[in-house]
Amino acid sequence: MFYDAARKIELPAEKRGLGLVFQSYALWPHRSVFDNVAYGLKLRGTPTAEIKARVDKTLAQIGLGALAERYPHQLSGGQQQRVAIARALVYEPPVILLDEPLSNLDAKLREEARAWLRTLIVTLGLSAIHVTHDQVEAMAIADKIVLLDAGTVAQEGKPTALYNEPATLFAAEFMGSNNRLDGTLLEISGANATMQVFGERITGLPRSKAAVGSKAVGIIRLEHVRCASVPGPNRLKMELKAPMYLGERWELAFAREHLTVRAYAAAPLAPGEHYVEFPPEALWVF
Amino acid sequence: MPIIVYRLLVLGITTLAVVAPLSLVVYQSFLTAPFFDHSARLSISAYSFVFAEDDFWQALWTTAAIAGGMAAIAVPLGALLAFLMVRTDVPGRQYLEPLILIPIFVSAVVIAFGYVVAIGPVGIFSTLAKDVLGFVPWNVYSLFSLIAIAGLTHVPHVYLYSAAALRGLSTDMEEAARVSGANPLQVALNVSLPMIMPAILFAGVLVFFLGFELFGLPLVLGDPQDVLVLSTYLFKLTNKLGVPSYQLMAVVVVVIIAITAPLVFMQRQLLRQAQRFVSVRGKGLKTQALRLGPWRWVAFGTIVFWLFITVVVPLTGITLRSFVVSWGEGVDLLDVLTLDHYRELLDYPNVVRGITNTLGIGVIGGAISVVCYTAIALAVHRWNSGWTRLVDYMVMVPRAMPGLVAGLALLWVFLFVPFLSPLRSTMFSIWLAYSIVWLAYGMRLVSGTLLQVAPELEEAARVSGANDLRVKRDVTVPLIKYGMLASWLLVFLIFVREYSTGIYLLGPGTEVIGSLLVSLWGTGAIDLVSALSVVNVVMIGVGLAVAVRLGVRLHG
Repeated sequence: MFYDAARKIELPAEKRGLGLVFQSYALWPHRSVFDNVAYGLKLRGTPTAEIKARVDKTLAQIGLGALAERYPHQLSGGQQQRVAIARALVYEPPVILLDEPLSNLDAKLREEARAWLRTLIVTLGLSAIHVTHDQVEAMAIADKIVLLDAGTVAQEGKPTALYNEPATLFAAEFMGSNNRLDGTLLEISGANATMQVFGERITGLPRSKAAVGSKAVGIIRLEHVRCASVPGPNRLKMELKAPMYLGERWELAFAREHLTVRAYAAAPLAPGEHYVEFPPEALWVF
Repeated sequence: MPIIVYRLLVLGITTLAVVAPLSLVVYQSFLTAPFFDHSARLSISAYSFVFAEDDFWQALWTTAAIAGGMAAIAVPLGALLAFLMVRTDVPGRQYLEPLILIPIFVSAVVIAFGYVVAIGPVGIFSTLAKDVLGFVPWNVYSLFSLIAIAGLTHVPHVYLYSAAALRGLSTDMEEAARVSGANPLQVALNVSLPMIMPAILFAGVLVFFLGFELFGLPLVLGDPQDVLVLSTYLFKLTNKLGVPSYQLMAVVVVVIIAITAPLVFMQRQLLRQAQRFVSVRGKGLKTQALRLGPWRWVAFGTIVFWLFITVVVPLTGITLRSFVVSWGEGVDLLDVLTLDHYRELLDYPNVVRGITNTLGIGVIGGAISVVCYTAIALAVHRWNSGWTRLVDYMVMVPRAMPGLVAGLALLWVFLFVPFLSPLRSTMFSIWLAYSIVWLAYGMRLVSGTLLQVAPELEEAARVSGANDLRVKRDVTVPLIKYGMLASWLLVFLIFVREYSTGIYLLGPGTEVIGSLLVSLWGTGAIDLVSALSVVNVVMIGVGLAVAVRLGVRLHG
């Protein structure tokens, strides 16, 4: 146990034996790459020859073997980040903590670094805790995601479980891009929950034990919304407002009174009235 | 050694060094005789005696008048100067900047001597004026001249804080005023200066406070007319009754501190407020200088004129005087040129010792002081505890003690504490006094450097397994190395120019140029005084040149 506010436990940082990669990398500017990485071993009284061997090995693993003599300011942002990781790995801590390690990199580099980091964690068999606000990054890199809401665990599980089976409204809204339907719960029968929106019956998967007659929230991912030209079950009549071209597809924004629904489509639709369908197997009712 | 031991040790030593002299002074003020006199009893008779003295009240009011007067002169001029230098296209700004700061770095006694030999009754500029006009249109020995000179030489203090505040403010608001049609003067008066009001207010209180610390100027310029201020009154008291009248001096010291301490506290509050204002900082956009048009030459002329009065007149006066046998009406300066005054310096062993001691205290003493200031700053650095407030206040205490007062208090400490007595006549006593007097200044320099160390650099070391002390040794100290070097240079400049702190500690072995100048001036040895003054100015000039060359910021 390192820290427990309730039990007043706080082990000093130097006694925890963890590896930590800072958001800003926090490389010591007055030390070379080699000395930055070697510091943790030096503090542990490792013999010089062994320090040399282990630092060289770690630097080679992260692909910076040739840059050991450089100083941090002579490295690119991506290289600095690798040094920070090497520094956290070199004394083989049981766990390394990565505090938003990719947030300082620009968008393109970030995707490369993400793939590189995932590969490194898998090939070296590391136990790593990766803190991030970016859900795509979390899903790409993690074996297991712990979603925190104001300091408490909202849901934990595999990335696919979090994305496809959110347990709470917070988890459902946090992951992915969503539409939100506000309505009243009409009935729950077996695997179906029916809510009333604009007088229509919209059916989805029940996700909470709300009482019939109370307010309900339907959540559906953008990619599951479909557009139709005629009325039908689970469809709402809405007006198309603004089609936006995103490159690989179009995003359509529909509106009806205060409700806005966004959907993806392969081709733009004509402006005017359309029917927006919410497939029952993709709509969660909370 | 656990970090807490180190912290408490440093805290204890600092508190002792600061509180001991102060409490000894307060204790002495309530005695009937010097503390080493066995007949001394507790009493308030010293207070009754001093408060019954007309001279004392006269000195107190004169001091207040001078302090108020110099603030009234320095504040508007300094603020205007800052606006011209920071925001407008006055020609040659980058060359003017270091010149403007000279009065801060040159010892006030040297400036005072300079004025006496330049525009005194037989000064070189006075004789020139007499040749041309037939009479001398000024009298340097008057309260008015004293206030004017004190005011003009303190313009840089106001300039520094106002300029720093202006640099921290985004120019957007000024540009908005210009777009609305305001001319440069209106921009300055309606937008820029009101926005840096907290900084100007702080500088005003600072200058008023420095008025109570004035010693060199009133000693040299006020004394011949019997114009006494509190510090010179204290200095004169030394021999008032024929016996050491320590209790009376202690009372004057207590009075001085009772006035300066609230001013120091007020400055602290105002500085916080001013800094809060500065945080309205724009992005580091390139600022467009305000075009003054032909008026920029008027502004340039005004700045040069002010520089001429406050820097050129006293410094050329003292320099010329050091190279001539004498001057007066009808004397051709070329006929009387000589180097004798400098040779003469070497004939006096105490003067030679004074010069080497001054260099020693500046170079070696300055280095040790910076190490001590760093030790204190490191002790409170990232210490999450109420004790750091104690250090804050401890550092403020000596600030309220003018150099003369602190030197006196330290002298008494050395007399009072038996095992310290042998150190009194060594340079250690001077070093300790200087270090205590400049504690606040030095701490500000070092803490400023420490603030720039990003906390995660230290946290990274702790996560790697280093304990607190190890983090300081391996990460913090190496990172502030250059800041410490810069502080060393600035502390050197301060220590070399210092004159009032060493006066009471002056004795064989503890001579420094500053206190020697004061004591030589008393004997009327003007030849020696001018040559020694020039030596002092040259030392400071070299230090300043090195500082400018290395790009050291001249203000903490």
